[in-house]
Amino acid sequence: MKKSLVVLLALIFILTLSACGSNNTASNNSKNGGSLTVAVPGDPLVLNPNYASDRVTLTIQQALYSPLFYINGRNVTPALADKLTASKDQLKYTLILKKNLKWSDGTPLTADDIVFTLNSILDTKQNSDLRGNFVFNNEPVKVAAINKNTVVFTLPTVAPAFPLSLEQLYPIPQHVFKNEGDLQKSTKNNHPVGSGPFRFVTYKSGQYVETQRNNYYFGGKAHLDKVIFQITKDQNAANLALENGSIQLKAIQPADVKNVTSRGNTEVISYPEYRLNYAVFNENVPAFKNKTFRQALSYALNREDVIKSAYGSSKYGVPASSIFTSDVKFQDTNVQAYPYNLTKARQLLGKSKVDTKQPLSIIYLNNNPAQESIALYFQQQFKKIGLNLQLKPTDPTALNNITLDRNSKAYGILLNGYIMGPEADVYKVLYQSDSPYNYANYHNSKLDKLWNAAAVETNQTKRAAYYDQIQKQIADDAVIYPISYDDAILAINKKFGGIQAAKPQPVTIFRDLSKLYLK
Amino acid sequence: MSKMIARRVLQIVPMLFVISIISFALAKLAPGDPVKMYVTPNMHPEDVERIRRSLGLNLPIYEQYIRWLIQVLHGNLGYSLQNSQPVLGQILQRLPATIGLMGSSLVLTLIFAVPLGLVAAKYADTWLDQVLNLLSYISISIPVFWFGIILIDFFSVQLNWLPSLGMRTIGVNSFPDLVQHAILPIATLTFQGCGAYYRYVRSNTISELKKSYVEFGYAKGLPDWKILWNHVLKNVLLPVITLLGMSLPMLISGAYITESVFSWPGLGLLSVDAIFSLDYPVIMAMTLFSGLMLILGNLFADITYQIVDPRIRK
Repeated sequence: MKKSLVVLLALIFILTLSACGSNNTASNNSKNGGSLTVAVPGDPLVLNPNYASDRVTLTIQQALYSPLFYINGRNVTPALADKLTASKDQLKYTLILKKNLKWSDGTPLTADDIVFTLNSILDTKQNSDLRGNFVFNNEPVKVAAINKNTVVFTLPTVAPAFPLSLEQLYPIPQHVFKNEGDLQKSTKNNHPVGSGPFRFVTYKSGQYVETQRNNYYFGGKAHLDKVIFQITKDQNAANLALENGSIQLKAIQPADVKNVTSRGNTEVISYPEYRLNYAVFNENVPAFKNKTFRQALSYALNREDVIKSAYGSSKYGVPASSIFTSDVKFQDTNVQAYPYNLTKARQLLGKSKVDTKQPLSIIYLNNNPAQESIALYFQQQFKKIGLNLQLKPTDPTALNNITLDRNSKAYGILLNGYIMGPEADVYKVLYQSDSPYNYANYHNSKLDKLWNAAAVETNQTKRAAYYDQIQKQIADDAVIYPISYDDAILAINKKFGGIQAAKPQPVTIFRDLSKLYLK
Repeated sequence: MSKMIARRVLQIVPMLFVISIISFALAKLAPGDPVKMYVTPNMHPEDVERIRRSLGLNLPIYEQYIRWLIQVLHGNLGYSLQNSQPVLGQILQRLPATIGLMGSSLVLTLIFAVPLGLVAAKYADTWLDQVLNLLSYISISIPVFWFGIILIDFFSVQLNWLPSLGMRTIGVNSFPDLVQHAILPIATLTFQGCGAYYRYVRSNTISELKKSYVEFGYAKGLPDWKILWNHVLKNVLLPVITLLGMSLPMLISGAYITESVFSWPGLGLLSVDAIFSLDYPVIMAMTLFSGLMLILGNLFADITYQIVDPRIRK
C-alpha cells in the first residue's frame, strides 16, 4: 500500500474518531444562563464567511457560523462534516455531513448549501476572498450534491492542500442568499443566518454585535444565553473596562498582563498562536542582495534579547528558526539559526565588502510598541558592528502599500508577522520569486520549482524531503531573520469557566464559545 | 438681510462642487491603493485585478469622479469599500450619536466658558483670574486621550459610578442610561473646549472694559453685572460667534479621540477609519457633509453678527 494512502486513511480515521468524541459534554460545575461581553477592536466588515478576512469579523463569525472542520495546530476535528474521503487518484473528495443539521432559523442545512457556498466563492462576479483556495492550475474545483448529506468535490489536478482549504469554508445558507445578485453588498449580511453556537440578534455600528444561544447548534445548546462583541477602539480604555468587569474577555498584549490582573478579577491564559514574528531583508536594496551581509546581520542579533525587548519577557514567544510554524507537520527547527556571535558578524561583514557608511533602514508599524522595541534593539546591535540603522515607523496603510510594491527600495528591513496555518504549500506565496507577497524580493528559481513540486507530491516522505530542503535553503540564504513563534494572550473574567473545553485558538480567540459558562 | 441669505444659499452648490473636486483629487492622489488594503495571500493577482475593475478603480480619475458625481446627484453616496454597506445608511446611523455628543459639549462649553471669561476679565490679575487661567492652560494643553483615560480610571474603575464604554447598556433603552454613558465623554470634550473659548472671551472683555462706553456706564452708576451682561457681552460675542461658526462642522465630523476612548459610536471614528483604509466613498461623503456644515456655519455666523451688532447691517 502506498504511503500516501496510509496518510489519507489516517486523516479519515482521525476525523471519524474525533467525531465520536466530539459530543457536547457539559462540565460538572457548569451552569446555563448569563452573558459574556467580548472586546473587539473594531467593527466587523461583512458578516458573511465568503468575505471575512480580518480578525474582528472572523472572531464574530466563529460565534455565528460553523466550519466543516476545525483545525488547531496539527489536529483536525470535524464540525458540520462527519467524514471526508479521497478517491484513489486523489482527484475526487467525498464529504459526508452530519445528520439533521439546521441553520439558526430552523431550516435544514444540507449538501445543497455546501454546493451553493462553494459555487458562490468560485463565481468571479461575487469577488470572494476565498476563491484562490479552490482554484488549482487556473481551474476551479467542481462541486455536486449526491444526496442530502453527501457532496463530491472534483479537482482539476492533484492538490494535497485541498482538505485544508476546506477548513476555511464556512457554509452560508442557500435559502437566504439564493436570489441575491451581489452577495457582498446583500442586506441579508446585516441579519446573518448561521450554524454556529450563537445566532445573530443585532448589530449597532460602532457599538456592539449581540448574539443569542442558537438552539439548533450541532454541538448542543450553549451554556451562555448571550455573547456580546463590544467594539472598543482604544485598547487602554478596553483594558480598564476589563478591570471593572464591563468587558469580560479580551485578547491582550504581553505588556498589559500586569495591569489587567492587578484587581484579581481577571485571569490570563496564553496559547500558541502559530504566528511567526520575523524580520525580512529586502533584496531590492543592493546591500541586502549580498547573502554574506544578511548572514552577518543575523549573527549580530541575540534572538532571546529580541524577544525580551519586544514582550518584556521570554514567556510569550518561543525562539524561531524555521519559516514554518509548529502547526505545520513538515516544520524542521534544525536549520541554520545564526546564534549570537558578534565576532563572526564582524568577520562576515568585512567579507561581504558592503559599504558600511551607507545608512540602512528598518520599517515597522508606528502603532506597534513591540515592533518599535525590536527596531531599537536592531539599531543598537548593528551599531556595535559599525552599521547605521535608520528607524522608519510607518502607518499601516502606507506600510501595506510599500511592502506590496515588488520594486520598492523604501526599506532595507521590514518587521512583520504571519499566521499562515498548517498547510505548508500556503507559505510559498511569501517566498516564491513571482509572488506578490514575496516581501524579501528573494529570487531562487530552484526553490520555486521545489515549492511547486511539493504542492502536488502525494508521497508524504518525498513531500517532507522537499519542504526540508526549502526550509534549509531559506535559512542558509538568510532570507529572513525568524524571531519568535508567538503566543496569543487572553484575559478572561474569573467568573467564567469552560475555557479549555472552548478550545482557545489563534485569531478567533475560541473555537467553540458554546462551552463557556458562568461559574 | 434676506437678500444676503438668498445669495449665500445659492453659493452653496458651486462651493460644494469645488469642494468635491478638490477632495476627490486629494483622496485619489493620496499614496496607496485601496484594493491592496483588502488583499489577502489567498487571493490570486487576477482576483485582485477583477475586484479593482468591479469597483471601477481601474478607470481614469476624471471618469471615476464623474461616475461618483452622477451617483451622488441621484441621492446615492455609494458603498463603503471596507464593509460594502451603503455610505448614507452608515452616516445616518451614527449621526444622532455625534450630534448628541458634540452639540451637548458645545452648549456646555459656552455655558461655562463665556461667564468664566467675563468674570476672569472683570477680576483680571486677581487670584481668581490666575486660577482660571491655569485651568484654561491645562484645558488647552492636556492630551484628550489621557484626560479621558484618567476620568475612566477614577469614575468607572475606582468609584464604579459611571459606565466607561459605549452609548447605552445593551438591552436598556432609557434616557437616564444614555445620560450616564454620555457624562464622561461630554465632560472630556467640554473641558477640552472651554480653554479656547474662555481665553477669547477673557481677552476681548479686557479690551472692551477699557472702552469709553464702559466708563460711561460706570458714570451712570450701572452695576458691574449690568455693564458686563448687557453691554460688554454683545461686543465680546462677535469673535466667539466666528469661533462657533467654525466649530459647527464638528457636529458632523465628530471627535475621533474622545469617541475612540469612550467607544462612542460617532462619525469621527467612521471618518478616521475610512481615511486609514482609503475608503474613498466614505471619505468623500464625510468631506461633503463637513464642507456643507462649514458653509452653513459661516452663514450662521454672518447672520448672527447682524443680529448682535446692528452696525454691520448698515
